[in-house]
Amino acid sequence: MRQTSFVEKNRTSDGKEASVDAKRVRVKFSQLVVCFFLVGLARPASAWSADRSGDGLVALYDFRLAKGSIVKDRSGVGKPLDLKIENPKNVRRTKGTLEVRGKTLIRSDKPAAKVFNAVRRSGEITIEAWVRPANAKQDGPARMVTLSGGSSERNFTLGQEGDKVDVRLRTTKTSGNGIPSLNSPGRSLAPRLTHIVYTRNRGGRARLFLNGKQQAEKRVPGAMANWNGKYRLALANELSSDRPWLGTFHLVAIYSRDLSVGEVAQHFKAGVNARSTGAQLATRKQSPKEQFFDREIAPLLSRHCLECHDTVNHKGRLDLSKKSTAFATSKKETVIVPGKSAESLLWEVVEADDMPNERDPLSVDEKKLLRKWIDDGAVWAGEEIDPLAHTHDRRVNQNWVRRLTVPEYIETVRSLTGVDIAKEAREILPPDIRADGFSNTAYNLTVDLKHIEAYSRLAGIIVGKMNVRQFAKRFSRKRGFTDDVMRDLVAKMGKWLLRAPLEEHEVAAFRGISTTVAAAGGTFEEALSLLVEAMLQSPRFLYRVENERGDGTAWPVSEYELASRMSYIIWGAPPDTQLLEAAENGQLFEDDGLEAQLKRMLDDPRAAKRSAEFVHEWLNLGRLANMKPNPEKFPQWNADLANDMRAETIAFFDDVVWKQNRPLADLLNAKLTYATPRLAKHYGLPVQGEGLARYDLKSVPERGGLLTQGSVLTIGGDEASMVTRGLFVLRDLLRSGVKDPPPSVNTEPVPSRAGLTQRNIARKRIADKTCGGCHIKFEPLAFGLEKFDGIGAFQEKDEHGNTLRDDGEILFPGTAKPVPYDSSAELMNLLAGSDRVQQCLTWKVTQFALGRPLGPADSRTLDKVHQAAQKGGGTYASLMRAIIKSDLVQKTQTEAN
Amino acid sequence: MNRRTALKGLGGITIGLPLLEEMTLAAKAKAVPVRAFNVFFGLGVPAPLQTEGFEGVLEPLKPLRDKLLVMRKVDQVRCDVSGINAHYDGATGSFTAMPAGGEAKAGGPSIDQVIRKTFYPDGMPVGMVPTLIGGTYFRRSRVGRYVHSYHANGTVAGTMQEKPRDLFDRVFGMVSVDVGGDARKQRLKRSVLDTVMGQYKFYTGANSPLGAASKARFTEHLERIREFEQRAFEMKKKLPGAPTLPPRSKVAHGGPADPGGMGIDITLEELTTEWRLMADLYALAVQMDRVRFGSLTFLAAGERIRLKGDYEYGGRKVFQFDDATQHNATADKGCSHEWWHKFNEKKKNTALRAHAHMKMREVAYFLKQLDKEKEANGRSILENSMITISTESGDGRHNDSKRELSGVFHAITGANGRFKSGIVDVGAEGLDVYNTMLGAVGAKGRLGPVKRESRHISSILA
Repeated sequence: MRQTSFVEKNRTSDGKEASVDAKRVRVKFSQLVVCFFLVGLARPASAWSADRSGDGLVALYDFRLAKGSIVKDRSGVGKPLDLKIENPKNVRRTKGTLEVRGKTLIRSDKPAAKVFNAVRRSGEITIEAWVRPANAKQDGPARMVTLSGGSSERNFTLGQEGDKVDVRLRTTKTSGNGIPSLNSPGRSLAPRLTHIVYTRNRGGRARLFLNGKQQAEKRVPGAMANWNGKYRLALANELSSDRPWLGTFHLVAIYSRDLSVGEVAQHFKAGVNARSTGAQLATRKQSPKEQFFDREIAPLLSRHCLECHDTVNHKGRLDLSKKSTAFATSKKETVIVPGKSAESLLWEVVEADDMPNERDPLSVDEKKLLRKWIDDGAVWAGEEIDPLAHTHDRRVNQNWVRRLTVPEYIETVRSLTGVDIAKEAREILPPDIRADGFSNTAYNLTVDLKHIEAYSRLAGIIVGKMNVRQFAKRFSRKRGFTDDVMRDLVAKMGKWLLRAPLEEHEVAAFRGISTTVAAAGGTFEEALSLLVEAMLQSPRFLYRVENERGDGTAWPVSEYELASRMSYIIWGAPPDTQLLEAAENGQLFEDDGLEAQLKRMLDDPRAAKRSAEFVHEWLNLGRLANMKPNPEKFPQWNADLANDMRAETIAFFDDVVWKQNRPLADLLNAKLTYATPRLAKHYGLPVQGEGLARYDLKSVPERGGLLTQGSVLTIGGDEASMVTRGLFVLRDLLRSGVKDPPPSVNTEPVPSRAGLTQRNIARKRIADKTCGGCHIKFEPLAFGLEKFDGIGAFQEKDEHGNTLRDDGEILFPGTAKPVPYDSSAELMNLLAGSDRVQQCLTWKVTQFALGRPLGPADSRTLDKVHQAAQKGGGTYASLMRAIIKSDLVQKTQTEAN
Repeated sequence: MNRRTALKGLGGITIGLPLLEEMTLAAKAKAVPVRAFNVFFGLGVPAPLQTEGFEGVLEPLKPLRDKLLVMRKVDQVRCDVSGINAHYDGATGSFTAMPAGGEAKAGGPSIDQVIRKTFYPDGMPVGMVPTLIGGTYFRRSRVGRYVHSYHANGTVAGTMQEKPRDLFDRVFGMVSVDVGGDARKQRLKRSVLDTVMGQYKFYTGANSPLGAASKARFTEHLERIREFEQRAFEMKKKLPGAPTLPPRSKVAHGGPADPGGMGIDITLEELTTEWRLMADLYALAVQMDRVRFGSLTFLAAGERIRLKGDYEYGGRKVFQFDDATQHNATADKGCSHEWWHKFNEKKKNTALRAHAHMKMREVAYFLKQLDKEKEANGRSILENSMITISTESGDGRHNDSKRELSGVFHAITGANGRFKSGIVDVGAEGLDVYNTMLGAVGAKGRLGPVKRESRHISSILA
């Protein structure tokens, strides 16, 4: 509730109004009464927000109004679901209670849509009530809180059955009356103030707590998919008015998740008086000030300050990249004085445009933001600023429905229909375009006329290759155009092809096709063919459609959404029968069930195939086929060699990750590779056998790991550019970056000559005052690769006869001291051992899994994913597990309705 | 239908048109339609060269000087995103005036799309291509280098048609549902399409479970299905003996066009033949009123080509292109791009001048195609449309942040008498210039941050 400034300025510590100034003397008495009233209600948010959990809250009644026939929903979530008292004479209201003294019904005017939608989606529920029953005899059960239609139809009911609490919940495995119910023990309910909490999670575990302690538990299997959306929410009676309850309500709350044991205890401890609006209850992962820092200040500091004042350069001994160092003093002046921009050196120099030094000053708007941040207390979110996280538009991680990529389309068709459409699909479908490093980036998976035409043509081709009659028999053996035969077939076939049950309107729509065929004198087979064609062009086939609407918070995904996410992330293909069954049985919401599916899926060859797609995309291996190195300089280059390099990297990845199940970091230094005789000769290795063979590199010190493979070394172009190679390592392995070259600097590359190697040229750049601050961060990363020429061959001397070296230093992002290395092998070992590199691999795999670039909002979750993966051995499989189990996959950030 | 004629490209290639009775001339229309196009050329014109008026590199625009407004000193510095390639920043900033939102994402809508949404909020008339994106380019490491029409959410407003034949197909092509002339089968296929459309309508409707961005994506998909339906079922078949499609391209496309940024070898004749065919077809599409919005690209941002060939203009030999030899370098170091890196105000910069002059010639070629016929109000399509010509940077160098995205070359057409002609030193931010342009044509949307004090640039208004 918004407080009046009058109240804010005059409130004393005990909440009473203080004496007023002369201006306010003129305020009328009635206004003072109103203000007293408001003071009584309005309390600082901090006094309440710690008491009760707001996460997942859907409806909240605190009965604070002392009169009237309306009971307000105070959750602040969605549209308020207010309740109306039908017989106000039979209730007595005080501030904070509603005593039901006689038979009445307190119900919503309309169906409780938001409760219905939220609980059905999450598959979880908590019903909470602080009540005092009038006696220990009423039964029926007498309805305390009910979402129902009548005495034998409900979604849930919290009731009193004598001296016990009785809770009924409708699922696909219980009756429409929610039976069998869960009861508390006998004599557990008495005419005294009692805290009652019922929780049920997606796996079916239902628990009943009284006064903070668990009283009963049982498994209530099934999903809430059969809930009735027309039921209303009611207190103190059944909707049919034949199951009255008498007693006093103090608080009723409904959540779309199961509160934990700890939370239930906390709510009990908070007591009946812990109350507020939902907005204050809503759990925030970050405070508004922390969000402001992440949103505005971290990017600002990244853009303008960290080039000189990060851990590496820390000019003036100031490192603004870390919380621990940002609030330092510089030349006896405090750089940032929280709350006091006027006393902060940072503000002083920025305001005067003295800083950034020799760079564009901050804009007027940026200065305002900086000043506001300091004056508001200079709150810092996290420990360190990740400059790379602030490169892109924050909107890149909003929800974009994911169209199937070409490989996913091919695999989906194959899995669901048995038809191999690879050749035709690759010919007809427009290629997917790379965006932000991968070609499965959802925001860029657009469609144009060519796609529509292609999908239409391919649908016809696929159906032409099928025996549709045989295919349909999997779902129904009946033939005929009658409604029940067709609807049944459409529903079952549609559920398989479209990867989740069809809604009623979808069944009707597809059914319409068979009606049209029948009306045109067509056969059953013709109807089947056209039905399949339609489904193959449906948005639910071509896209991975998920619910994205909610209350603006992160909602758990449904069982089918989770199954689809798992299968496309791990396999690049739709869920198979086993996975769908596990989803329908709720097993994916149970740890054991989920783990069993993950193990099975990761053992499937499709997981390895999908991971090969990841590598292909991450390292842009398709680039190799288009390379045209100077034929005079590299006469040995040809398309076959390019193909060999691609095959080498894919086979190497498969060996390290799948055959040996080694940590992903070993990709940097594993002493093996795969080569054809042609590639082996190119590398100077003794040829072994025909075709692509495995080579042990233990006795080949210069090779071993991705960076020593042609597919990566060619990134530097003909001249084996240290800048390009170094930037690759910096960006794609160390997940860092540097700014553009400063003004008025000639960036034209200097060619080598006798007596001047690229290393020497790079060293000059590093030593240069204007260039070195950035170049120190990436060029030495390429020193260890100096002996590899532009197409990956090893040489001790360059074309000018200069002797080459492979020692150097590596400056890990966030550190100040470079770490020396003596050889390329040592460089590879340092990279493999670096947590930064391991984190980068986590980010890359996760980006490919999610089909979107990752941003600051993902950092905390990614940290957890990374820690979990490392705990599991740092392997690809452990990373997959961690990603699937994380909120990145288990939840969707909804948009508010 | 006087346009149903053979079309000649620079290389003497002849193409014909399918006989489609829906094609009508805009000249026959009673009202002149609203049109907006973005024409992009790569690498920019260094700011000092823009001060030479129409006597320097801008000479090829001179014949159109009464129909163009050259705007100098347009500042796009806001579009610079540190750590990302300056070519790309400038390219995605051209026509949007906002920093990029991702490698394939602009920071907001482009000018043409803002106007399209204002005047056609429910979609374009049946038979039209909603947004036509075409171009002749090679460098393609980021989509923003070569696509220049963007939705409000920053995603591309259409698929790039980089081959003339693909552009032709996109505009005029028939689509087949493989049922021949069988009316019964056609009806059944149509019922399939209707069912599919119904589903997309659901997902774009009030009960859709999708968020805003996803819904917008499905809206596009639905529009494409409508186009497909129209072409598959409502357009008449080609008559026997109708002319054939244009021949296939001879220049590199797709992956081979950009071998890892190392550049390709191409002759001037190959380049301009391809480009002029593309330009002719795009102009034809506009003249036939099959498209009213979109963008056309002549060479990508940061383009890498090693050009060779004699360049002539106005009966004189201007220059002999031979980039690799003249640079005495290979691969990327031998590309025309390097002339921009070597630009020095105190030197003659002969090669750079020739390249920039050639680009202006090719841009002018396209513009002139739209200036050939008069519409109902006595003005040409060129004069009636709002065509914005721009580029990626002030001068294509990376070593002067004050130049890089400041003073970006711009030129606009009159938009039916709304803008001046000639040369104006605007001295304003791109956002203010574009928003003034949008306001002048009656567009509802504006570019840039909502909370920003904007400036009206009256110096460009007629």
